[in-house]
Amino acid sequence: MSSPLSEYEKIVGASAVTQLRRLGEKLGRIRVVHVNSTREGGGVAEILEWMVPLMRDVGLEASWEVIQGTPRFYRITKAIHNGLQGRPVELSRRDWSVYREVNEQNARRLRPVLEEADIVVVHDPQPAPLLSMFPKRRGKWIWRGHIDISRPHRPVWKGLHPIVKEYDASIFSMCEFAQPLPHPQFLVPPSIDPLSEKNVEIGAEELDRVRKEFGIDRKQPLLVQVSRFDRFKDPIGVIQAYRLVRTVSPVQLLLAGGGAADDPEGKAVLEEVREAAEGDPGIHVILLPANAHRTINAFQRIADIILQKSTKEGFGLTVTEGMWKGKPVIGGDVGGIRLQVFNHHTGFLVNTPEGAAHRIRYFLHHRERIREMGEEAREFVRENFLLTRHLREYLTLFLSVLRGGTGGVLSI
Amino acid sequence: MCPGMALTPFEIKDCALLVRMSGLPPAFNLRELRMRVAACSESVLFHHFCETPIRPTFDNPDYRNDFAVWAKLYLGDRVLAERLGIIDPYSMASLEDLRAAALEILEDRLSEITDIPSVSRGDEFYFLEATTVTFDTGERIAHPRDLAAAIRGMTNGSVYYHFLEARRRQVVGKDDFSAWLRGDPETYRTFIAALESIDFYFYSLPELRRQIVEALTQGGKRK
Repeated sequence: MSSPLSEYEKIVGASAVTQLRRLGEKLGRIRVVHVNSTREGGGVAEILEWMVPLMRDVGLEASWEVIQGTPRFYRITKAIHNGLQGRPVELSRRDWSVYREVNEQNARRLRPVLEEADIVVVHDPQPAPLLSMFPKRRGKWIWRGHIDISRPHRPVWKGLHPIVKEYDASIFSMCEFAQPLPHPQFLVPPSIDPLSEKNVEIGAEELDRVRKEFGIDRKQPLLVQVSRFDRFKDPIGVIQAYRLVRTVSPVQLLLAGGGAADDPEGKAVLEEVREAAEGDPGIHVILLPANAHRTINAFQRIADIILQKSTKEGFGLTVTEGMWKGKPVIGGDVGGIRLQVFNHHTGFLVNTPEGAAHRIRYFLHHRERIREMGEEAREFVRENFLLTRHLREYLTLFLSVLRGGTGGVLSI
Repeated sequence: MCPGMALTPFEIKDCALLVRMSGLPPAFNLRELRMRVAACSESVLFHHFCETPIRPTFDNPDYRNDFAVWAKLYLGDRVLAERLGIIDPYSMASLEDLRAAALEILEDRLSEITDIPSVSRGDEFYFLEATTVTFDTGERIAHPRDLAAAIRGMTNGSVYYHFLEARRRQVVGKDDFSAWLRGDPETYRTFIAALESIDFYFYSLPELRRQIVEALTQGGKRK
């Protein structure tokens, strides 16, 4: 549950909050429905957890619906997800049929609420076919792609393109992710909630308890990567980087992540990581339940350096979270990490385990730079990647699509 | 500030930016950049030269326009980056003049070099544009003496709209605050001069807000 909007004034300033309320007033009591495929786990659910209540707080009638699927449906949508991120995957004609059929079942259940909505925001590919099942829809439908589809596996994109192109508009986190589509494609980076369990301030005593609980040695520098156990996050590459540093400098590594309800591959990757870490007491591999937000928060706060060595990344909210805690980030030179990590300012972009090891060693020998870059990172997030900016862009987008304005200036 | 002739209350507006793809193909090399700059809409030019402060991006400490940043970071052409980086879009009479200035630099550079610099996939330049949604906040500034305090409490959107975006709207290419004070130019000449003295192009919006407040405060002291 997110905090009321007024609580954010002390972080972003009263004027930014007033601006949101004014945008809400301009929209009035429009009905906005978000649709995705999981209530918990993963960045999308986390965003909706705060966004929906805050949209209500500024006066919109916002709600959040989750489609329900079978294990086969989730295997198919995971394959679509991977295919959109460029991995060659096989999807049979029957798979595409199941994908559609599950959405048809959900459409029957969701018909009253979606048909009457003024705005429907459909998140990611799982519920995308819903649009075609609402020929009598009265509102504008927007497809929100959270993942990097800059170089999709072509057969998968060919399957999804006819579905997505029918929307009134689409939203991508960054321009590199967009694909040619016959409607406006807006760019809205995601954000974090600074008052959520995952980002709120935590006292020193609680941090000490977490260190004790997970066997973290406070005398040794700690590297932390928090992410799903997913090959695109390159946890094995992180272990390689750690080992390169460990040969010359004492350091410990914490790899922590949860599984998401719609990610059946996580278990296999976790096993690979555990195998790679076996016998090394300096590596802590921790599988967390989906609601372990406060533990993740603590891990990021006790870290000396945050890693996010992804080889593919949507936006990389764990990067934003780490930076908000005043930590520089060593991140993969991909996707949305490039929007957040700037060499020598907020962290370092790297391409290899060797590159990551080099930057880790730099920080370990220049501890003051950890503090300085961490402070710059936190201010950068305050200005650009907190939920208030994100909410403002959604409200602005709703005004734009409802009033038909895509010119240079729209006065309302 | 001293009371002069009564001015109509200043209407505080606010704005929010909505960025979108322009539909132009991305540029992978300097020649393609030149072609797209020649062909793109004025709103694309305006976005990459003028809207960077209000967009959620890192304030690049080197250059304020996207073309210069790309030339340095991705094309690896520091000469081009420096030449593009010094372009002040607000000194141009029109966006077409801005386009001509940018094209001249790009064409000069193309004529100087034998190997056309290019980038790998993933490092290409995307041409974007934006819709600026503007709205009346309902707040008014009744008297110029209250201007500095009001600006101190404004959103980044209001600062952008009244001080930067205004130059696109105002016939004389001035900011809204100066335009308002020109309703009584004699009384408020020091304030107008102080506002005009701000070399605003290199400031982020929070920095610009501080500079405007400072300029108005100093202008008041000189009066």
